[in-house]
Amino acid sequence: MAGTLKDQERKRARAFDMMAGIALTVGAIVVLVEIFVGRSGFDFGWVVDHLPGFLNATQLTFYVTTVAFGAGLGIGFLLGWARTARWIPLDKIVRDRERLREEGTSLVAARIRTIPLILLSMVKYLVRRIGDAYVEIIRGTPLFVQIVFIWSILLVNYPRLEQKELFAGLIALTANTGGYQSEIFRAGLQTVHSGQVEAGRAIGLSRWGAMRHVVLPQALRLIIPPLTNEYIGLLKASSLLIVIGVSELTGYGRNLAFTSFKIFEVFAVATAIYLLITVPVSKIVQYFEVRYRIPGFGIQQPAEARV
Amino acid sequence: MIRVEGIHKHFGALHVLRGITFEVSKGEALVIIGPSGSGKSTLLRCINLLVEPDEGKVLIEGAQVNRPDIRPEWVRQQVGMVFQSFNLFTHLSVLENVMLGPVRVKGLQREAATAMAKELLARVGLAAKANAYPAELSGGQQQRVAIARALAVDPKAILFDEPTSALDPEYIREVLDVMAALARSGMTMIVVTHEMGFASSVSQRILFMDAGRIIEEGRPEQIFENPQQDRTRAFVSKILR
Repeated sequence: MAGTLKDQERKRARAFDMMAGIALTVGAIVVLVEIFVGRSGFDFGWVVDHLPGFLNATQLTFYVTTVAFGAGLGIGFLLGWARTARWIPLDKIVRDRERLREEGTSLVAARIRTIPLILLSMVKYLVRRIGDAYVEIIRGTPLFVQIVFIWSILLVNYPRLEQKELFAGLIALTANTGGYQSEIFRAGLQTVHSGQVEAGRAIGLSRWGAMRHVVLPQALRLIIPPLTNEYIGLLKASSLLIVIGVSELTGYGRNLAFTSFKIFEVFAVATAIYLLITVPVSKIVQYFEVRYRIPGFGIQQPAEARV
Repeated sequence: MIRVEGIHKHFGALHVLRGITFEVSKGEALVIIGPSGSGKSTLLRCINLLVEPDEGKVLIEGAQVNRPDIRPEWVRQQVGMVFQSFNLFTHLSVLENVMLGPVRVKGLQREAATAMAKELLARVGLAAKANAYPAELSGGQQQRVAIARALAVDPKAILFDEPTSALDPEYIREVLDVMAALARSGMTMIVVTHEMGFASSVSQRILFMDAGRIIEEGRPEQIFENPQQDRTRAFVSKILR
């Protein structure tokens, strides 16, 4: 039976959805044409002439964002993992020492043999506390201030450094996204059920093995949407580098606007370019999200919405 | 083969295990029963060191294994575990679930591990489901995969932590059948369960635990029909009903 009532309803809803979309698009085109060519006139020729400059600036924006995001992934994962860790295993240290003593090891030797464990847990503790402070600092201050602050440090201490604006910008964006990504990773790692780790450990995987083969593959699938958000947010935030004079898309556009007085054209192009990056990025990620989705894991979409 | 001596475990102020001593010989299927909160699960986790005992010894084939210089990962390859809530790796197919241990822990080649995993799945009657994901299986099928996964690292003994308690009644039989076959094949097993039929037919010995201690120990018919201790009698009368 092809045409059940449900199918008909679904078809009708889909047709309505399509018509609404077409109506909105046509409306938007009408408004845009009115703005661009109706009254003031949109200088397409000028835009085409300056396109290479825009593309250069776009490349810089893309480069800064992607490098900072990539480095931030590493920081985010390590810090996020460290911040899920447990308290110092003081009782385990004492227990191990007592056990060694019972077996006839001398007190000094028993103490020496627990030193690696003590050092390891101290390092872990420090990383965790420093990580906490780091995330609080990053989250609690404006990115604008972070950029200027790091730039000022370079300016004062390394006045002869070449391209210190770009360098300061990269550091600031990396530090910033690293802090936010560590929160994303922490939430993702903690969402994976503790029974999964236990099962991994029970077949003999080490702590790292359980992380790599059991927790991370699941956590990554969960945090793809927030990570995409973070990438797009970072791309937009990179426009703040204008304040220290990095000539990325926004900075380039502003300079061009002030010298050519084609303000409207410049920012129309900049808007279009930002959209041309962000929209495909989220579409591509969506595709992979569906592709690597696992039955019964994460948020399920209705069958219709699948690619 | 497995022996625990004077095991104590505290969780904060809670004294969960209060000096447990017993031994399981090779090829024996030991059943542990007891009310919830009596420390059964913690005891099992102490044996494969998922939980480290505060005091006491865990011995496998005569050698103490809860020592700082023995890697707990090694101990867990000797003693497998099956959980109440299955805990299959949700992101891996059934076949990959069984293969993960052999490949990543034992360092087996993928082809060899695949062949072995398929054989184990056939043994638990799930050869046809090799490419399904855990969420696509029934509870009983998931638990049988979990048994295959535990067997895949070739352990000397397997611990079962209430393997049928999370199952719908119609699936309990198939899991118990797999476990009974495993016991007949000579696997050393420690099973926490309230399945009296399974306990009577498969095990030689039952321990009754309450409040962190072993209260009574005996053959199944003795524990179920003629318990010596009041607490055992009270508990058995509740579950036999």
